[in-house]
Amino acid sequence: MATVEERVKTVTAQVLKLNADEIKGEDNFTADLGAESVQSIELVAMFEEEFGIEMDEDAALSVETVGGAVDFITKVCREQGVEIEE
Amino acid sequence: MRLVLVDRDEDSRGNFYPLALSRPIWELRCGFYSLREKVIAKVAAGDAAYFVPDYMADAYRAKVSGAVNNISALVGSDLFVLDGRVKASSFDVAPRGASEVGVDSQGHLVYARIAKEDAGKLDTSGIDAFVASAKAKLKNVPCSASKWEYTWELVLANGEELTADFAAAGLSGVEGAIEKPGEILGGKKDVYIAPGARVHPMVVIDAERGPVYIDEGAEIHPFSRIEGPCYIGKDSILLGAKCREGNSIGPVCRIGGEVEESIVHGYSNKYHDGFLGHAYVGEWVNLGALTTNSDLKNDYSTVSVMLDGKKGIDTGSTKVGSLIGDHAKTSIGTLLNTGSYVGAMSIIMATGKPLPKYIPSFSWFIEGVVTKGFGRRKLYETARTAMSRRGGEWTEAEEAMWEGIFEITAPQRRVAVAKGRKAMMSR
Repeated sequence: MATVEERVKTVTAQVLKLNADEIKGEDNFTADLGAESVQSIELVAMFEEEFGIEMDEDAALSVETVGGAVDFITKVCREQGVEIEE
Repeated sequence: MRLVLVDRDEDSRGNFYPLALSRPIWELRCGFYSLREKVIAKVAAGDAAYFVPDYMADAYRAKVSGAVNNISALVGSDLFVLDGRVKASSFDVAPRGASEVGVDSQGHLVYARIAKEDAGKLDTSGIDAFVASAKAKLKNVPCSASKWEYTWELVLANGEELTADFAAAGLSGVEGAIEKPGEILGGKKDVYIAPGARVHPMVVIDAERGPVYIDEGAEIHPFSRIEGPCYIGKDSILLGAKCREGNSIGPVCRIGGEVEESIVHGYSNKYHDGFLGHAYVGEWVNLGALTTNSDLKNDYSTVSVMLDGKKGIDTGSTKVGSLIGDHAKTSIGTLLNTGSYVGAMSIIMATGKPLPKYIPSFSWFIEGVVTKGFGRRKLYETARTAMSRRGGEWTEAEEAMWEGIFEITAPQRRVAVAKGRKAMMSR
């Protein structure tokens, strides 16, 4: 199974039409990856689908970086009993 | 005699969604007034008590003077308990007299006339138990009084009710200001401009086919045309509007573009061009520029409306527009299909195509699909801002009610969001 980080980068690349290999943990979704507000909603939706979790919208949308998303999703997966590769 | 209005039946309440999600059915409007005001006037009640779904009780208590979900209101007075959906105009049961329960053909309570001494013998542990014991212990008589069954019936009856309400109000003439040049077509007896209302130059008021009532503080800007029957509520503004026949608007609305045979609750805006026809619009709604709804199908067949997101209900009418819940917001260029359901607290960002006919409450329609968007707390923040701009207040009770609505509407939203996800993933 791919790691949380790999899966987050794959989803991010799909939604924002980027190359997953070029996405770094410190990248800011808006400033570095060019995510618009509508795309951030799509990102949250696709992360939920990818990991089979439900995220609080306010908390999820306050995450700014790819690394932040990895940490946040890891935490939610643990809370919701979803198995992941860290 | 105390009037007791009851609105507790979930099935019948659902027929009035999304408008009844945030209010009892009797706070819906038709003509000049709410159904509650019409019933109170009809039965000449001394005071009134209300029994509403628990999740809205605190919020509703802040809006009315009578007791809300207070069981002690059932003792100490003669009572006239009434189903909140009864049509006042055709209701002819005397509210005073011997105790009896009027039931419809399905055995549901329409009214219960209960003398003070009989009320004391009934089960007062809760309103549902009280009604059940009244039915069991008091004489039952058949009652064929008609009830409102769906929201669109109010829209379709609005013209007639406007005319009747104008006659009942017994007012005509100009007590406000009309600036020249302008024109009143038809008899001036069919027009009433209330004190403080102001009609700017270049306005045509056409009362040839029905009366026009412009209430206190309303302002009609140049190049507006108002066709009767019509009611413009207090402190509303018409901005060069083509206000066709059969509209009830306001209070405190901003209306432009073309509006026909529609009911618009207070504090809602349709500031710009775009057509709204045979629609029922809740409170604190904002319709962006060029938002347009269809109210007639190309094949002239009857319009169906989906109230649960699954099954269409044939309205039996060829003219039905949109049902738009409180706090809904549409973007510029939104196109609403015939008989659309726009959920309360929903946000629509138009795609240029007609929308799906069912948008669940609290959903964000973005890029052609229903999403969870930025979530409900962002919607509450927007609602708080919108209300404060017009002197309203977003209270804790209000938020608690909307939390209840969020739960009630979750199943339909979940289905629509899942469908949206599939569409997103297949792109």
